[in-house]
Amino acid sequence: MVDIFSTPSLVTIVLGTVALLIPVIDALNKEKSSKNKVYSGIAFGSLVLALVIVIARIVSGETLPALSLSSDGVITDDVFGGFFSIAFLIVSIMVTVSSWSYMKNKSNHAAYYSLILLSSIGMILIGYSTDFVMLLVSWELMSIPTYALAAFSKKDPISNESAVKYFLFGALSTSIIILAMGIVYGLTGTTNIYDSIVALSELKTELIPFGLLAVGLFVAGFGFKMGLVPFHMWLPDTYSGAPTTVGTLLAAGTKKAGFAAAIRVIVIGLIALNVQWAFVLAIIAIFTMTIGNLGALTQRSVPRILAYSSVAQAGYILIGLAVAPFAAQGIDASLFHVMNHAVMKSGAFIAAAAVIVVISGYTLDKYKGLGYRMPITAIVMTISLLALAGIPPLNGFWSKLLLFGSAIDSGQLIWWGPYLAIAGILNSALSLGYYALIIRKMYLDEGENRVRQKEPKSLVAVLIFALGFMVIFGIWYGPILDFASMASPGDLTQLVPVR
Amino acid sequence: MNQPSDFLIIAAVLISIGIYGIVVKRNALRLIISIELIANAVNLVIVAFSRMLPNPQGQVFVLFSIAISAAEVAVGLGIMIIAYRFYKDIDVTEYKNLKN
Repeated sequence: MVDIFSTPSLVTIVLGTVALLIPVIDALNKEKSSKNKVYSGIAFGSLVLALVIVIARIVSGETLPALSLSSDGVITDDVFGGFFSIAFLIVSIMVTVSSWSYMKNKSNHAAYYSLILLSSIGMILIGYSTDFVMLLVSWELMSIPTYALAAFSKKDPISNESAVKYFLFGALSTSIIILAMGIVYGLTGTTNIYDSIVALSELKTELIPFGLLAVGLFVAGFGFKMGLVPFHMWLPDTYSGAPTTVGTLLAAGTKKAGFAAAIRVIVIGLIALNVQWAFVLAIIAIFTMTIGNLGALTQRSVPRILAYSSVAQAGYILIGLAVAPFAAQGIDASLFHVMNHAVMKSGAFIAAAAVIVVISGYTLDKYKGLGYRMPITAIVMTISLLALAGIPPLNGFWSKLLLFGSAIDSGQLIWWGPYLAIAGILNSALSLGYYALIIRKMYLDEGENRVRQKEPKSLVAVLIFALGFMVIFGIWYGPILDFASMASPGDLTQLVPVR
Repeated sequence: MNQPSDFLIIAAVLISIGIYGIVVKRNALRLIISIELIANAVNLVIVAFSRMLPNPQGQVFVLFSIAISAAEVAVGLGIMIIAYRFYKDIDVTEYKNLKN
């Protein structure tokens, strides 16, 4: 039974109404003048209202604790979904506000903001889904608007090319996910996630390979969106070719939605089937980190470097998922890094968007001397990159510390746990190579001139918010860590029967 | 020809043809058709399971899946039409702007 006063329903109603209202206002509007600011303002207002609803429901304690699995209904109203909702809403708000400046000289503003809101609804509902049908519908509600958004610059062949690649891989991944859901349905006779996982844990021994095949297909299907190696080929092209604000939404939003689905399905499914196969997740994590970082080292365009770095960051988050059955804090650490990475990556991408708006350049050479020409953008870019690398006083350090710590903890039960931590630390050092290169170009290299450029106000507001988040929650990391451990199911083996 | 296993074999054949199309063909429309072939073969798998169990949930699932893939292909064909305007061709090997 779906309660109308539960968080997902309220948020869907608020965002859905506004998403449908914006194109209607545009159709009724007789004037030809651009209404970019009006639509951006309306979208911003609805997203803030949704954020307030999610936080108020969690603070008032009306939501279910942690990750709740139930065989009742298709959506639940738990803190786990609330945690992901807050991360997605922060990203959507940052994207909407920065679009105020980024979209100024472009067309079709109504459709742009409407699609961003629809995609946000999809991401939020993924966090709350407890049924495969609901998960599929919300997955597609998230994906389809982003295909259109990636192709949004109609006059730009690069944007179109990125959308073609994104669409072909995205449509294929959807088919793979449906096949995985179909196999699980065929084995268990139900589409409810909890019921099917209980049935999987009682599966006959000769059918277990089919269960593992389904989990493998889930890893492939969700892995396309999460950007796991070897499903990452489309990702650098799409993140760098799409309009940079849309790239932010993809890198910081839809990627995290893949992790929400992965925790709900893959990690718990593996516990029910055969927990030793978590080793495969560990291998994928190591390859994802290494290939992401090596790929970033050779790139000359800053959005492409950030795209490769987000491949590497997906590997760090996957460490927590791989060790989750063996270390109590695995999922806590992953959630903590999800929230921090959402803000760090948005900060870096929006700084790149500001550079594109002001000096219309995205290659490393254009970043020379940026510290004098665009001081605020340069300092936020620097802090974001240092946070992504995991430099101590910033928020990225604490979540990486917890991730690697949980990997070492898991060494009591499995031999490969500590190696994940070693691989992660070595990769963090490797990633500093290209982060430091961007910072050096901005501050130490002499650029074309030292004339200070005017930075657009809305972009500066978003950048300062990101800076504040990274520094304040870096020094005072308690609240987000507590919230992450509140949302995390803790000991997963208590949640479902272990084989 | 009325056993559940027959439907599963047909679905497996359709999925194989779809994968062959994705690997070999370079025309964007053929790629979309291959992906649709896989999607519909998967729907066939679920309907076959639904009849085998027997349990109507799977058929509801397939109805959702068909509606969603229709919406997805509509967006995809829109993207391809814009691509055709740029290149006067929809061969995916032409799309090399992003390779630095």
